[in-house]
Amino acid sequence: MARIIVVTSGKGGVGKTTSSAAIGLGLALKGHKVVLIDFDIGLRNLDLIMGCERRVVYDFVNVINGEATLNQALIKDKRVSSLSILPASQTRDKDALNKENVGKVLEELGKSYDFIVCDSPAGIEAGAMMALYYADEAVVTTNPEVSSVRDSDRILGMLASRSRRAELGLDPIKEHLLLTRYSPKRVEEGEMLSVEDVEDILSIPLLGVIPESQAVLKASNAGEPVILDTESDAGKAYQDVIDRLLGETVEFRFLVAEKKGIFSRMFGG
Amino acid sequence: MADASIEFKGTSFTLSVLHIKTSELADIRADLVKKVAQAPDFFYLVPIVVNIEQLDCSVDYQAVKTLIEELKFTFVGFTGAVDKEQRKLIRDLGFSFVNTSKTDHSQKAAISQEAVAKEIQATAVVPEGNLYTDKVHRGQIRSGQQIYAKDQNLVVIGSVSAGAEVIADGNIHIYGSLRGRAIAGAKGHHKAQIYCQNLEAELVSINGNYWLSESMEQHWGSPAFINLTDSELTSSKLI
Ligand SMILES: Nc1ncnc2c1ncn2[C@@H]1O[C@H](COP(=O)(O)OP(=O)(O)O)[C@@H](O)[C@H]1O
Ligand SMILES: [Mg+2]
Repeated sequence: MARIIVVTSGKGGVGKTTSSAAIGLGLALKGHKVVLIDFDIGLRNLDLIMGCERRVVYDFVNVINGEATLNQALIKDKRVSSLSILPASQTRDKDALNKENVGKVLEELGKSYDFIVCDSPAGIEAGAMMALYYADEAVVTTNPEVSSVRDSDRILGMLASRSRRAELGLDPIKEHLLLTRYSPKRVEEGEMLSVEDVEDILSIPLLGVIPESQAVLKASNAGEPVILDTESDAGKAYQDVIDRLLGETVEFRFLVAEKKGIFSRMFGG
Repeated sequence: MADASIEFKGTSFTLSVLHIKTSELADIRADLVKKVAQAPDFFYLVPIVVNIEQLDCSVDYQAVKTLIEELKFTFVGFTGAVDKEQRKLIRDLGFSFVNTSKTDHSQKAAISQEAVAKEIQATAVVPEGNLYTDKVHRGQIRSGQQIYAKDQNLVVIGSVSAGAEVIADGNIHIYGSLRGRAIAGAKGHHKAQIYCQNLEAELVSINGNYWLSESMEQHWGSPAFINLTDSELTSSKLI
């Protein structure tokens, strides 16, 4: 049985697509068979971050409408053979998906993959509901600011009431808190909520804390998910997320602002 | 100099009073055994004061105490409107004589059949003057969610998020933080109360009287309960 993981948030621009790409690629690098699905119909972002935008022929909506088979639409990643991407359509609108057909596609994919990672659109409307409906687990992507935390809280309510698991009375969706764009310096200066603040408000288990990092922009411009940048802080933090998703206990890093060492202070570094 | 390790204070307690109407111990025993059998848990280790004012002759006080303790009550002492001599006798025998604050004949029927039934019910569900049962919600109530306990109290085992709303016709108890809105006594009930372990609410309301966050300064961020005193909302420290 494949684990269906939705990367969701409520609020836009918090790092869902960045995180979906890193998690999908990271799990595949560990040898798992992974498919990444872009549910953000109309915007189509994931293929850019994955660097496969020039290879899109068919998309998710074509598969839903029976205009293409799954095999025709899936794009194999050039770096890791166990990873495939199902891109979103750029020309259709959000209503192109329906529950029944999405369910069929997921069931089909579930036969040959270990992980199905769904990149959710922002908002709490139909598109986002579709992305979370079939999920077994949810990575609730949150920035350390009040409005983002509020939207995540709202999405958690949806996960608990509007998902397939909730409707059928099955075990609830497993919730994970992923704090992104975290800046310990700004937390110390009181400009941002701390990890503890966010945990206290949302009270769900912490999966990872991704620092605000230049490496992310660099990575998305290059179409190389940041987890491949193994020297970067964000890359390392996403690596920890993968290990935790696979059941390991890993200590949290990048939670405190770097203190300037004596040398950098002396030499003004 | 004050004693650092102890302190004496007066407090009133409600005690069960057993009125005995005969000095025949066997009869008392038989009736008591029957009574206890109706609700053994209710009576177990219950403190008992024995009222002797309806007795027309003297009784073996030591035997009464032994009987009471045998039936697993906790014997406290004797009481009743009796003359000085008898009181002295009781004290001389080593028993305490408990004076009631006022001669209250309405409490005579302490262990009548009805009273037992009522008291058992009272301890089990219904606090005096409040006929509501509890609706219990386990888990956090998230932004955008609303819970209404119609004709009930609401017990939330978890926090109420900002942007969430809990409503009850009775009281609201939150075993967690209250960051959203809580509306108690929604159908009009001025005795309704709101309890929470951490008060950071957007709004609290009882019987139509409401407070916004700014009015909660005094107990903000701490365990608090809120009630109506003379149609004014008041908050107090919970623990
Ligand atoms: N850890 C990070 N550090 C710096 N910038 C980030 C980080 N995560 C995401 N971003 C930037 O934030 C913007 C939104 O990210 P994206 O993943 O597209 O969010 P979403 O899919 O939630 O809308 C992008 O410009 C991205 O480069
Ligand atoms: Mg996105």
